[in-house]
Amino acid sequence: MSAGTPPQVQSLTCPNCGAPLTVRSMGRAVAIVCGHCHSILDAKDPQLKILQRFEDAIDEVPLIPLGSRGKWRGSDYEAIGFQVRSMESDGLTYSWREYLLFSPYKGFRYLTEYDGHWNDCSVATALPEAEGASARYLGKKYRHFQTCLAKTTFVLGEFPWQVAVNDDAIAVTDYIAPPYVLSSETAGNETTWTLGEYVNGADIWKAFGLPGLAPTPIGVYENQPSAVKTSAGRIWFAFAGLATALVVIFTLNQLFSQQEQVFREAYSFSPSSTEASFVTPEFELKARTSSVEVQTDADVSNQWIYLDYALIDEDTGQAYDFGREVSYYSGVDSDGTWTEGGHQDQVVLPSIPPGRYYLRIEPESDARLGSIGYTVTVTRDVPVLGVYLLAFAALLLPALLISWRTYSFEQMRWAQSDHPVVTLGGGE
Amino acid sequence: MSQPAALCPSCGAPIVFQWSSSVQTTCPHCKSILVRTDVNLEKVGVVSDLPPDSSPIQVGTSGVYENRAFTVAGRIIYDYDEGSWNEWHITLNQGGSAWLSDAQAQYAVTLAFPAAPLPALATVHLGDRFTWNKTAFEATVITEARYRGVEGELPFQYWDKQGATFIDLRSTGGDFATLDYSDTEPVLYLGKFVDFDALRLKNLRAFEGWS
Amino acid sequence: MIWNRLYLIYGTAVVLLLGAGAYRGWSFTSVNEVKNVPKSIRDNPGSYRAIYAGYHHYTGGK
Repeated sequence: MSAGTPPQVQSLTCPNCGAPLTVRSMGRAVAIVCGHCHSILDAKDPQLKILQRFEDAIDEVPLIPLGSRGKWRGSDYEAIGFQVRSMESDGLTYSWREYLLFSPYKGFRYLTEYDGHWNDCSVATALPEAEGASARYLGKKYRHFQTCLAKTTFVLGEFPWQVAVNDDAIAVTDYIAPPYVLSSETAGNETTWTLGEYVNGADIWKAFGLPGLAPTPIGVYENQPSAVKTSAGRIWFAFAGLATALVVIFTLNQLFSQQEQVFREAYSFSPSSTEASFVTPEFELKARTSSVEVQTDADVSNQWIYLDYALIDEDTGQAYDFGREVSYYSGVDSDGTWTEGGHQDQVVLPSIPPGRYYLRIEPESDARLGSIGYTVTVTRDVPVLGVYLLAFAALLLPALLISWRTYSFEQMRWAQSDHPVVTLGGGE
Repeated sequence: MSQPAALCPSCGAPIVFQWSSSVQTTCPHCKSILVRTDVNLEKVGVVSDLPPDSSPIQVGTSGVYENRAFTVAGRIIYDYDEGSWNEWHITLNQGGSAWLSDAQAQYAVTLAFPAAPLPALATVHLGDRFTWNKTAFEATVITEARYRGVEGELPFQYWDKQGATFIDLRSTGGDFATLDYSDTEPVLYLGKFVDFDALRLKNLRAFEGWS
Repeated sequence: MIWNRLYLIYGTAVVLLLGAGAYRGWSFTSVNEVKNVPKSIRDNPGSYRAIYAGYHHYTGGK
């Protein structure tokens, strides 16, 4: 039987300019482009009939040179065709590039590139169901991203379909489910569907051994996967768990804090007395290191009292200095009665070790006014709400940050679509 | 599995049928098309040299489809306005035969499915829907093809047919169906699109320069 | 995925820190700690003033 291995690469000449042509797709090409004069030739015609000829010398250099070989998705592929397509939106022209890859075992697939974003595309075998704003393919839902008219503006290499430059535009519709994109192309009454998957330029460069680096992606592409979005949901879930732990610790704290009053005494301060400073009797802070609350109640009336406190450990000589003020003012004016300040001050000292303590107190007040009566109460092991609020904020902040980043990423994604308003549902 | 043997009536070379139900085969030496009328072979024509083509599958390739092992016994090459494709006749090791279609390296396996009544060619249009074997299909392509050549063993005698029209149908789940209008009565083949890797093909054709 | 892991580690650290703080009685008050306050304060409280905290060495003239 015949069918011995055909020659790998056939050599032919371009009928327009005479340059040699290299054919790589083993007889599957329908159109082939002369690399020299860029005429499009009919590959099915033994005479290589010229389908389209060019006057301009526009030249675009493909980033993956024709003839490049690489191992992609488990098989060897060769880049055999290159196409530049453009569409217009709001008066601006956007161009993207397509690279046709061929394997004698797996056939054709193509890599598309736009602004440094790459997609690996192949023809869809199952039937998609399009429903206007969305489409369904193999059980997955895709959201409509964009519909545009695309024209081919430049071609090189071979194609298993008819290509023509600046010919009739083809209606292209993209539906996305990041990292996938489902694309339909309608020419006349024939529609072809392709499925694309977002890939990193670096992986392509590595597979094909291309020199230098892949172009840096600009902005967010339609089906670019959001590294952050997949995390957002889980992070809020983790937040819920951690916030619950916070509440549990808070409850336990409230239940088990002893709030033991260790000292309470009433004093009276006369501003005219010579030595204001005095010490209190000793009291004991038992058990473990804990918070200590010092509460000052003073019957001030339109005056202030300032108390310079020092909590001193009898045995170690360690002192904790702090000063507190209690002031209260009231009056009547055109709006009615007003008050300012209060009669009580509370302060919580952190982590005071156990031991025998006393307070050294030095009160101070306005010398012109009368004596002030005040009470000092010392309580140990009180819960501190502020620490919980801080911890809650510390947990909330990263979750908010991630959600904001997801939102702005999606906003950037949809800004280029036919539907620039962002809704966070759909997709992943 | 018996392997009937005979001698080519044209050149005398020994012919061995890999598949016991083959009706037709081609002599690998003189390329005569031979039809079995049981053991006596009858030469009915000569197939011209097959043009060089690019399918990686060849007669003798083996593979697996849905856990059923098969061997490639023969093929039909069709031409149409955008190129050509191969319909490889595969014999299932457990018995029976099926078709492995290779069109631009897009592969599908189909088996003859008895369903009646099948629509007449003139009544089918693109987008029409049918349900066979509990699967909904939509007509996606109508192809007018011509026979370009044959090779190996085939389950029927056909070599003198001129043109054939095929209607391809697809489902949302990746199923594939073909209505074959090459005979007087239409025949329905049902199957699925398959990945090259899923077929686990062995004994493929070697291509110079490709691994 | 990595963000989720990082957040969990971070969040667990925050909660553990909070637990430790609740146990040890942390608060936001900034307190001036002075060491080695002499016992004579009990007899003469006026000799101890916060502003003297740094004067544990001789600073006067000769």
